[in-house]
Amino acid sequence: MGKIEWAMWANEQALAAGFIYLTGGIVGVAGQFSGWKFAAFGIAAGVFVCLLEYPRSKRIKGTNFERTGQYCFTVCVKAFGPLTRNYYVRAFLHAVLCIPGGFMLATVLGCVCLGIASLIYLSAAIHGEHWEPILPEAEPTKHVSQSIKQPPQNPPPRPPADMRRKRLDDLEAAAYVNPIPVRE
Amino acid sequence: MGLSLRSWIANEGGKHCILITWLSVSAWIFWRTFILYCSGAEYHYLHKMLGLGLCISRASATVLNLNCSLVLLPMCRSILTVLRGTRQVSSKKARRLLDKSKTFHVTCGVAICVFSVVHVGAHLVNVVSFSVRYSDEFPALNVAHYRGQSVPGITGVLLVLVLFLMFTASSHSVRVGNYEIFWYTHNLFILFYVVLLMHVVGGALKYQTNVDAHPPGCIPANQTRAHSDTWPNQEVDGELVAESREMSLVCKEDAHFQPHFPQTWLWVLGPLCLYCGERLYRYIRCNASVTIVSVVRHPCDVIEVRMLKNSFKARPGQVSPTLSSAVMNSSSCPTENKETFGIHVRVVGDWTACFSELLLPDLEHSEILPMTNQRRYPNDEWRRYKLQRLYFVWVCRELNSFYWFAELLCGLHRKLWEQNRPDYLNIRLYLTTAQELQNLTDEKYRPLHSRLLIGRPKLKLLFEEIGRSNQHKKVGVFCCAPKGVSRELHKLCNSFSASGTVFEYNKESFS
Repeated sequence: MGKIEWAMWANEQALAAGFIYLTGGIVGVAGQFSGWKFAAFGIAAGVFVCLLEYPRSKRIKGTNFERTGQYCFTVCVKAFGPLTRNYYVRAFLHAVLCIPGGFMLATVLGCVCLGIASLIYLSAAIHGEHWEPILPEAEPTKHVSQSIKQPPQNPPPRPPADMRRKRLDDLEAAAYVNPIPVRE
Repeated sequence: MGLSLRSWIANEGGKHCILITWLSVSAWIFWRTFILYCSGAEYHYLHKMLGLGLCISRASATVLNLNCSLVLLPMCRSILTVLRGTRQVSSKKARRLLDKSKTFHVTCGVAICVFSVVHVGAHLVNVVSFSVRYSDEFPALNVAHYRGQSVPGITGVLLVLVLFLMFTASSHSVRVGNYEIFWYTHNLFILFYVVLLMHVVGGALKYQTNVDAHPPGCIPANQTRAHSDTWPNQEVDGELVAESREMSLVCKEDAHFQPHFPQTWLWVLGPLCLYCGERLYRYIRCNASVTIVSVVRHPCDVIEVRMLKNSFKARPGQVSPTLSSAVMNSSSCPTENKETFGIHVRVVGDWTACFSELLLPDLEHSEILPMTNQRRYPNDEWRRYKLQRLYFVWVCRELNSFYWFAELLCGLHRKLWEQNRPDYLNIRLYLTTAQELQNLTDEKYRPLHSRLLIGRPKLKLLFEEIGRSNQHKKVGVFCCAPKGVSRELHKLCNSFSASGTVFEYNKESFS
């Protein structure tokens, strides 16, 4: 099976959980349920989690799958340095954010889903994974080969054109040996 | 190049037809259920209590029923294999539609997720309504035991959790990176269906059984005298009308309520039993033993394994479900009247590394490659074409990769030359990385040496060339490539073609 990258799955889960938290919060606030303040918190936490989780991390090995338009989010998340790089911090953050959701029916699903994502992030952190930003690689500067700067001093090693012309009548005489050996 | 209508219909028509049919059916059942709960007589009191939340939750539940039953059908691969092989499905178009089964499965899955969100949202509102609008008049309708009590929905929460796990592990990046996570979480489907069958037994929503005897909005018998006093003085006719109206509005009986028969069972049990039966059949078939006849090591960590299995005839394009990223190429090798089949396996994962260590102990470990799609039926769609010419375009990064099938290709080329059909097979080999002058130097691979081109293929020019040489004909394009290339090919197949050639696009993918 090889090395499983738990963080990839945790990232998908956290993004989906953020969305569920947000939706539950909206329903709670719009329906004016009792405890709607928890729902309002759910909306804020859901949006925050979605923004944090939107930029995917660079994979350890293999092709990276960027989400559409994630570059600006990558830059923002990268700016927080070790806070966002470390998955222990993320696991703890998600665990803390999900707790208030458990006090209200509308947000309880978001709470459980975010809790599961937090556990998977913890597993990723234990396996030593961390978040790496996917940044566009700088184009390597094209090196101009040395030989272009120095044109050849000698003409190519071949006899003049009329000698080179195919003389079908006298094939033996038409053959020649290159004065300068040709390197393979 | 603009879109060519003929090419587009040939490639996309059937698929879009199915999509429109599915959308129409879903929309129709949603609308029908919505209207039933909004204005049906037997739901009058329930509707008064719950409002719009009732209609939306029930309508989305019906769409969920439909999709939960449809989602299993494209995964019955053995049945689809049999269907593909029968005469009933002899049309090439129908067979190509069956190839799109995975896409349909994904579509139904996404629909389940979307409508689950709608369903849960509506039920959250219902929960509050049950609690706030606790009915003293019709206590049988209540789900809450008293005003203000919150209503449990454990099975619903469990369903959402299982769906959450399955959905998040099905994204493309997780499938490519860690196929095992996808595979094991997706097998939670059985838990999903078991909990679903329990979820609908709850009987929270009830319908009125005696609408004739107790028309909704009727006045209970003990209240009619009070009402007759309040009627204003009217003319004789008017009084008669008022009295007769009174009579029809009086309830003969109290309202009786009963929970529904769980309709979901009717929708879901059939496909579920079918799919479980099929899994069992596949498992039993998998257990038959296979004899390994020979193992050949090729460059770039590829091993070719030739095997023998009783009562099994391999066909080209078949993919083994138990191996990682293996492509089967079938060739008969009649030794003792038995046919062997071969597979080429690239050693890039722990599983394949262990496999190759057992066969050839010297190979080293490499990086991870995910498991393949469990495609059981062979992609021998090309058989349906009256083959006049075959263009074989193979793009590789390393020169050594061409050695995997070099012998097979040269053998085939030689055979066709001897049969005086030299233009039947057109081989084009492309080498994308050209750091130094490279060539297939072996003398026996001479036909390939002259057909080796450096650089990526210019697909548009290739298509134009093939179109010019095969005017007003149907060209089947069979693509096994990563997404970028296959998307480009798909677009080219749908594009305008000056020579009247129609390119039919077929794809094989391993993720």
